[in-house]
Amino acid sequence: MAKARPIPGLTGQMRYSDAATATIAVRSDELFDHAAGVLDVTQIEAVHAMRVATRRLRSVLEFYEPCLDHEQLEPILAQICELADVLGQRRDPDVELEALAGFAAAASEAERPGIERFIDRTSEQQQQANAELAQMIEQIKADDLRGRLAALIAPAPTAAAVDGPTVTSPAVAEETDASPVKSGWLRRR
Amino acid sequence: MKARKVKHLDPDGTLADNAQRVVAVRIDELYDFVPAVLDPKRVKKLHAMRIAAKRLRYVLEVTSSACFGPYALTATKRVRELQDLLGEIHDCDIQLPRVQQIRAELSEEAAAELALRAGGAADLDPALASALPHSEDWAGLAALEHYLAVRRGLLYDRFITVWQDIERSAMRARLEYAIAERPTMVASDTETATI
Repeated sequence: MAKARPIPGLTGQMRYSDAATATIAVRSDELFDHAAGVLDVTQIEAVHAMRVATRRLRSVLEFYEPCLDHEQLEPILAQICELADVLGQRRDPDVELEALAGFAAAASEAERPGIERFIDRTSEQQQQANAELAQMIEQIKADDLRGRLAALIAPAPTAAAVDGPTVTSPAVAEETDASPVKSGWLRRR
Repeated sequence: MKARKVKHLDPDGTLADNAQRVVAVRIDELYDFVPAVLDPKRVKKLHAMRIAAKRLRYVLEVTSSACFGPYALTATKRVRELQDLLGEIHDCDIQLPRVQQIRAELSEEAAAELALRAGGAADLDPALASALPHSEDWAGLAALEHYLAVRRGLLYDRFITVWQDIERSAMRARLEYAIAERPTMVASDTETATI
């Protein structure tokens, strides 16, 4: 299992809300970096790594919840929970099949048919779970989860940008004109 | 199991002070499952304890080095060990009923076939019970069922041993002390927090 990545610059004395930005950025990258190869049922560690990354991200989002904009956070958390469930449904048969292979290898000839029947049942479950995972990954892309996570921790617009209509920072321009997501700066002052 | 709300968190306060409040609540959550989990039949409680361990572990993973005294790191490892063990027990608790369900399904099919063979007879000829469907599956499924049941028992015994070690080493008191400590450190751009 992949170790949690260190959070650069994190100290106990930094502001809680600044720590939120630093931590969520790293945990978000971890999640998407582990998405590669996740649908290959012969590479079961990829699912495990992505599942752990999902848990870590969910955990930090909950930990830093007071620093984040609730309206933005809630749907993100809901989608991450859903992803965690789908990854768990894939992971369970992955682990089971690995253990069953070992069990079947140690079994007698007479015991093998029953074990193989259970293996077949578990393989069907794995395939079904993999199809659901594929759909979920497409959904995450379509919903731009990564972009929404970035927006959740986006820096606050400067005072000048907020007050002056003629001087607009890039962050504000993105918020108001192009992107369907807005920055999560509101609760971070 | 929903995580308990943590009160008095302040986005403008320090990470360490806020993390201390969160970890204190997560420690309470974990320890609240004792003594319930000392009964091996409390499957749901054992599963919920695993989730509580996971919550505590992941918060400590981010904060222990940066925010707390050195014991926090040791506790992170102990909590992870506990979480892994509870996870393996949970796997057995999920698999065992699935094996039993397949056995029940196959048994029902075999019985249905036997009833069909009996036709409208007033009594059942023993010869008809020979070579029923799925008879080749029983040995393997029974072996698997026994394996999972016995393994679950062994893992649970290990869990009790690990928990006793945790209690003996006063993990709770030491961790509560550690989260009130602050590491003496000078922040720099290159500094990183690791477990």
